[in-house]
Amino acid sequence: MRSLTHIANWPLAWKVPLLAAGLMIGVAVLISQFVLSRLASDQENNLRLLTSAYLDGVSAAVLPAAQRADVWEAFDALDRARGHYTGVNVRFSILALPNGKVLAASDPQAFPVQSAVPAEVDKRFAPQDGLVIDYTSGRAWLSRSLREGRFSIGRILAEIDISELLRVRRQVLLTLIAVNAALALGFAAIGSFALKRMLEPLSVFSGYVERVRAGRADPIPASKRRGLSREFDRLFDRFNAMARALNDREELASRLAEQEKYAVLGKLASGMAHEVNNPLGGLFNALDTLRRHGDDLHAREATLSLLQRGLSHIRNVVRSSLVNYRRGDSQHSARAVDIDDLRLLIEPDASRKAIRLDWINDIRGSLPVAGESVRQATLNLLINACAATPPGGAVQLRARATDKALMIDVGDQGPGLPEDRVEYLLGGGEDGPAMGGGLGLWIVRRLVADEGAEIALVRQSGLTTIIRIVWPFRDEALQHASVDDRLVEETVHAE
Amino acid sequence: MPPKSAPIRNPERVRIGRRSVIAGGFATILLRPRTAAYAADAVSFGLTPVFLDSDVQLLSMLETYLAARLGRPVQLVKRRTYQEITAMLLSGQLDAAWVCDDPYVQHEDKFALLAVPLYQHQPLYQTYVIVSDASKAQSFDDIRGSVHAFSDPDSTSGYLVTRYLLALRRTTPEQFFRTSFFTYGHRNVVRAVASGLAESGSMDGYVWDVMRAREPELINRTRVVYRSEELGFPPIVGLKSASETDLAKALSEAFKAMPSYPLGRDILATLGLDGFTDGEPDLYRGTLEKWLLVKAQA
Repeated sequence: MRSLTHIANWPLAWKVPLLAAGLMIGVAVLISQFVLSRLASDQENNLRLLTSAYLDGVSAAVLPAAQRADVWEAFDALDRARGHYTGVNVRFSILALPNGKVLAASDPQAFPVQSAVPAEVDKRFAPQDGLVIDYTSGRAWLSRSLREGRFSIGRILAEIDISELLRVRRQVLLTLIAVNAALALGFAAIGSFALKRMLEPLSVFSGYVERVRAGRADPIPASKRRGLSREFDRLFDRFNAMARALNDREELASRLAEQEKYAVLGKLASGMAHEVNNPLGGLFNALDTLRRHGDDLHAREATLSLLQRGLSHIRNVVRSSLVNYRRGDSQHSARAVDIDDLRLLIEPDASRKAIRLDWINDIRGSLPVAGESVRQATLNLLINACAATPPGGAVQLRARATDKALMIDVGDQGPGLPEDRVEYLLGGGEDGPAMGGGLGLWIVRRLVADEGAEIALVRQSGLTTIIRIVWPFRDEALQHASVDDRLVEETVHAE
Repeated sequence: MPPKSAPIRNPERVRIGRRSVIAGGFATILLRPRTAAYAADAVSFGLTPVFLDSDVQLLSMLETYLAARLGRPVQLVKRRTYQEITAMLLSGQLDAAWVCDDPYVQHEDKFALLAVPLYQHQPLYQTYVIVSDASKAQSFDDIRGSVHAFSDPDSTSGYLVTRYLLALRRTTPEQFFRTSFFTYGHRNVVRAVASGLAESGSMDGYVWDVMRAREPELINRTRVVYRSEELGFPPIVGLKSASETDLAKALSEAFKAMPSYPLGRDILATLGLDGFTDGEPDLYRGTLEKWLLVKAQA
């Protein structure tokens, strides 16, 4: 299982909705910034327009009062103006005289008649006419000079509560956040759902491909193909065709292997019969000699010796066959005798073609490798080597152990493996038997792959082709090797 | 001191008959074009701003009522100050006017009393000096140094009585008060004191009493620290030279007969008055004495 701490390892069904949500959030932030910026700008412009309109109206209303210094008229105008301008929430307004004293204010208790405008209040207003906005406190201060010709006759000061504007701005922000969050989540959910639906066939496909890796090439059933898009329908068709072809090939390979096994068995039986039959003629002759010249001590001893050698030969042939087909008993170890037995099996073939066997077996003790697999693979290589080597040639076997593996070289003097066979042999994997070739190489390939061994093609002077298989020692085999060895020893000695 | 209908902020509290309203509405619709078309024949009747600021519906009812009683269109003339109305009446631009008792006593030789309102069944009213409810002042002398709101320079209750009290103390408003100003309306005096614009104010007691019932939130922010003796209620006057004319008599009768008519009763209910009666110059003796004293000091 790949770590999910890296984004690259996340499944597509996560990444796409998250990407969609991320994009939405990004777009939402940009839009929100734009909207809020525009809103703030519009609000400020509106505020300037509204306050300007307010000042225009109030100025016109209080101008006569300012001219006459009429307290009541000034107050009445300021007081009435408070509620007459929608959107301008006046906290207080002051009509100050040029000497800085209050003629009248909308809040006379805070700014009594004839009192000086407090310095802390006056400093909030722009020195000249204008609008000062403080978003932190939610207040704005506006001022307008009243003039009669070139002479100032007063100044209107007003504090405006703009908290409503800020409230609207906050409300817009919250609305934007809520709407955008809902949209982002909605798009993410829709994206996730849609992608899950779209990727569902891929998940099915992946599951069946995984089965192929595990050795089962099951076609995708019709029940899992409902509602497929055209692309996936075609893909599934191709997969099913491939699965059927694989199954057919596997079945064919199995049948061929079975046939090959029987062929090898037949060959082995034939060879064994030949090996047994050869001494039988001599043995019968020996029996006749014994029957006729049994009284002659020398002749009798010589005949008995011949009988013993003949029977020993037969015993060796039978013993090697027993050992060769003692399936499973020696699967956990290999010894020198397991390799030497193969010589007995290959000798009939070699003898027929007058092939010399250069046999070097340096194995000492029991090695923790799959003995049966080693024997089968080596036997197949030897059979192929004998088949490839011309009459009068030589076949070489060399077995030796390293610290970690059993290394077996099989050499022949044949014309050499064709390039495609070499590729096939060294390719590994689960391909079936090579087209036009026997099952020997296929069996070697499978055994090598099953046991995690390594196979290589080594060329050497004097011999055309050398194939080397390196069988790694197995830890668990070490624990059983001694037991298996004892069993083999007991079997051999019992016979 | 002018006719002082208190501002009507709660019209539903005034019992106005449905028929009178309908009749008044129709009459207004019918009479207004005539008033404009026959302006030369219309009776011009002057009212002070205090009255005008109060209730447009009351103006409409009064115009309708007078037109019906006189059988002629009536044109109500409104000005900001008492002085303007007085001047128009003296110059013959008005047939009659509801004026304050101060202008009446000033021009007693030229004005004839046509009718005098009855407030609480008496042709009398008082002057109140008020302060903010939060003020510590308990008497007239406690308002020394305050910002004072007067109603109108020609108002008895809104100016003359206070000037009279100051004259008795041998002082003037400029010396007694920190500053003072005119609001040109008794209700404005209440607003000025209630809002804190002024710390004290001089006004008509009748207006303050009526407002207490109709605008308690505003009036409860003020408190009376001085009540004058009872004086003659602001009268309806015409020129003496025209006092014997049919119009003058008809006007006098129309006001005095007001309780006899539904619309008239509605007008009286709106004004908080009981009716109108004949008035005698002696009724305004107290006002005259005060004016003379103030005039002598000036």
